[in-house]
Amino acid sequence: MAQPKTTQTFLTGKGDAQGALVVVFLRGGADGLSLVPPLADDGYHRARPRIAVKPADAVKLDGFYGLHPLLKDLEPAWKDGALAVIHAVGSEDATRSHFEAQDLMEHGGLAAGGWLGRFLRHRKGATAGPLSAIALGRALPECLRGAPAATAMTSLKDFSIGAPPNFLTQLGRLYAANTGTLAAAGRDTLAALRRIEELRAEDYKPAHGAEYAGDYFSQGLRQVAQLIKARVGLEAASVDVNGWDSHLSQGAVMDPEMIKLSKGLSAFYRDLGPRLMATTTVVVMTEFGRRVEENSAFGTDHGRASAMFVLGGGVKGGRTLGKWPGLTREVLEGPGDLPVTTNYRDVLAPILNRHGAGDLAPVFPDFKLAPLDLYG
Amino acid sequence: MNFSRRKFLQTGSAVALAATAGCDRATSDLLPFLKPATTDGPFQPPQSAAIDLVSHFINRLSFGPRPGDYERIRKLGGTEVEAVAAYIAEQLDPARIPDKLARWAVRRCETLDDSIGELFEYKERLLLEELTRGTLLRGVFSERQLFEVMVQFWTDHFNIALGKGDTKWLKVADDRDVIRRHAFGHFPALLRASALSPAMLWYLDGRSNRRRNSDEKPNENYARELLELHTLGVHGGYSQQDVMEVARCLTGWTVRGAKESKFKLGKVEFNPDLHDKGAKVVLGQHIPAIADNLSHDEQERLGAGELDLVLNIVALHPETAKHLAAKLCRRFIAEEPPSAAIAAVADAFLKSSGDVCATLRALFATPEFLATRGGKFKRPHHFIVSALRATGAETDAGKPVAAFLDRMGHAPFQYPTPDGYPEESAPWMGTLLWRWNFAVALAENKIKGTKLDAKNLATRAGGEAQLLAHLLGRKASAEERQACVESGASLALALASPTFQRF
Repeated sequence: MAQPKTTQTFLTGKGDAQGALVVVFLRGGADGLSLVPPLADDGYHRARPRIAVKPADAVKLDGFYGLHPLLKDLEPAWKDGALAVIHAVGSEDATRSHFEAQDLMEHGGLAAGGWLGRFLRHRKGATAGPLSAIALGRALPECLRGAPAATAMTSLKDFSIGAPPNFLTQLGRLYAANTGTLAAAGRDTLAALRRIEELRAEDYKPAHGAEYAGDYFSQGLRQVAQLIKARVGLEAASVDVNGWDSHLSQGAVMDPEMIKLSKGLSAFYRDLGPRLMATTTVVVMTEFGRRVEENSAFGTDHGRASAMFVLGGGVKGGRTLGKWPGLTREVLEGPGDLPVTTNYRDVLAPILNRHGAGDLAPVFPDFKLAPLDLYG
Repeated sequence: MNFSRRKFLQTGSAVALAATAGCDRATSDLLPFLKPATTDGPFQPPQSAAIDLVSHFINRLSFGPRPGDYERIRKLGGTEVEAVAAYIAEQLDPARIPDKLARWAVRRCETLDDSIGELFEYKERLLLEELTRGTLLRGVFSERQLFEVMVQFWTDHFNIALGKGDTKWLKVADDRDVIRRHAFGHFPALLRASALSPAMLWYLDGRSNRRRNSDEKPNENYARELLELHTLGVHGGYSQQDVMEVARCLTGWTVRGAKESKFKLGKVEFNPDLHDKGAKVVLGQHIPAIADNLSHDEQERLGAGELDLVLNIVALHPETAKHLAAKLCRRFIAEEPPSAAIAAVADAFLKSSGDVCATLRALFATPEFLATRGGKFKRPHHFIVSALRATGAETDAGKPVAAFLDRMGHAPFQYPTPDGYPEESAPWMGTLLWRWNFAVALAENKIKGTKLDAKNLATRAGGEAQLLAHLLGRKASAEERQACVESGASLALALASPTFQRF
């Protein structure tokens, strides 16, 4: 067996060349029509006389869509051309159950394991390191099921070995006395542990004046940024933002979540800076969007299509993708929902390719992909 | 209060489980609730500087030695050769091995014995927990070690991940009625049981493979994996056309699903109206069309019979023999198994009409098997089970143990694609961090539900150096002994050492 070229080999299998993919899942069915309102579609304002985003308040994107004013911190990334928006995106399955829709989307259809897990398992030259996949939180999300090595973590402390100081020294001695891949794996793992210890000890200073808020989402992204910068071989991270189920008082439910999302993503974007953002992709998704028409309680009910965001990783941003179906009665689906014109897999597929997927057939089985041109 | 035990269990509450254990059981059934006596006297570890024959056989035929195993097995014969011959004979006849401790250990995993209909009454989470725990406990405590090793081999070979559709309920039955029932049987019977397993029909879409008219396309998923993974192997000489023809032969098999039906859930049925009745050619063999003028019953008999025609073509095909022999040799001999051993094992497979025990006997007799000692890399499950065995730990194999497997990407029944967890070492090289974590946590009694007595263990072995020989399967080198002493955590270091990662 060939000797690994760098100590990074077992941490990433790729010497960190691959970059990290950060999946942000908005749980509860986030309303794409509020996140990215179709300002120039009259149907939108008619359907939501009380809760529509007013064109004057919105962050202007392209003349047709706008960003919700509470997402204004994302404007610099949009202007830099590092943020793309995909609208009318969602699943082929019409279920409006949170559980079923999240399950199907995270599994990538009626399949065993999660799409991110299968990607990590089947990508070109897959060799998972101890820190290749992490989920911020107490449990692994379904999308990471079946990953070769995935860890749910709440803090870096979760990784350290509570052994006497001499333990690692002597362990290093035993592994060094071996030859071949096991010796190299031992050496790399010790290097990773040392780096984690350093990370824990250091007072992390985000770069470029970025400031992370104190909520779990921002703090989660802060740890992801820290791991990316420490080059410990992170390839995939999952962070959730919960609480988008805005059946009543849309603003009261969504506003705090949008602030979290916007502040967290913008701090992360700023902290990593252009060089690291070029290899780091953040994708934001949700299980479904919400009914076009507002309900009597100033809220919206479960619907179909929503919006997705792709930040960094070389995406050709500053533009919206996906076909806008319009909001006339004939095009709306079922009880009056935005139909899905782009399948979520067709957004994920080009991103996974960018991150070295190789064959996507095992990642998205039983689905004919028509990947969006995110990078062209 | 009319509150049945079953209803209680459906809540999935571990508290409920513990509180009601045994309350409505017949007295004879109470037997497994009394913990069988275990020996905890002194034991003799291996003495030689290299892995001797007995240690080698224990390493390969089991998930590693428990305290005392080496001494017991060595004494099965006057010479080492006689001893291992007796050990093989013993392990290949598991029905004669009393297995009280394992039975006692899995006593609370009651769903493992439930019928398919009953399984659907439980929450999926509970079933996965009990199946995972049962698998770990049998690995740790069963005396029928080679049988458990082969159960894992076939579980990977006929991989079904819990998660897709009704597999969440049905895998429990597949594990018991397909894998465990046939693990030491004949391969053709195992293959047939798997082909008609409701869990497999769900997992590889056999249940939706139908062709009611010429416009409908059969679902090829199972047919492809049957040829590529279960029998001939990817380069086994079949074509895409063969896959399509096999899929056509297998049209019409269905399973009652939880979403469509309330009764007879998981029942496998053949529906001749969903079957493609045209003529087919599978690997050059003709299967005639089923005539329209035959009676419905006759059409059903012939249509369903095509499954057996197909399985008969592939189950004992020379390519199947080669494919299985290579996989067995990869498991038991080396990552890159020598071709002479593969040929000998394939030959035994064919001569015995796919008798698993005869095939294994031939494998253990190859010079290649005897020659390659200590060079295989333990997969995470093997590592954890072997560490629990070696230290004689008490364990409930509960969530804290399973969590380590999750982190290392080797949770039982969770491999997402049909090819099963890889046997090769490369995909597992990134798991050292969690192995070391586990070693330290285990040695320092920091895993909830798992407990060991390190001091007693060393006393029983006859001192630290002897304990090290037990853990490493051979006498430790001077450097290893020194490293253990200087580490300040001798037991943990031995379990985390490169040698303990191998078998």
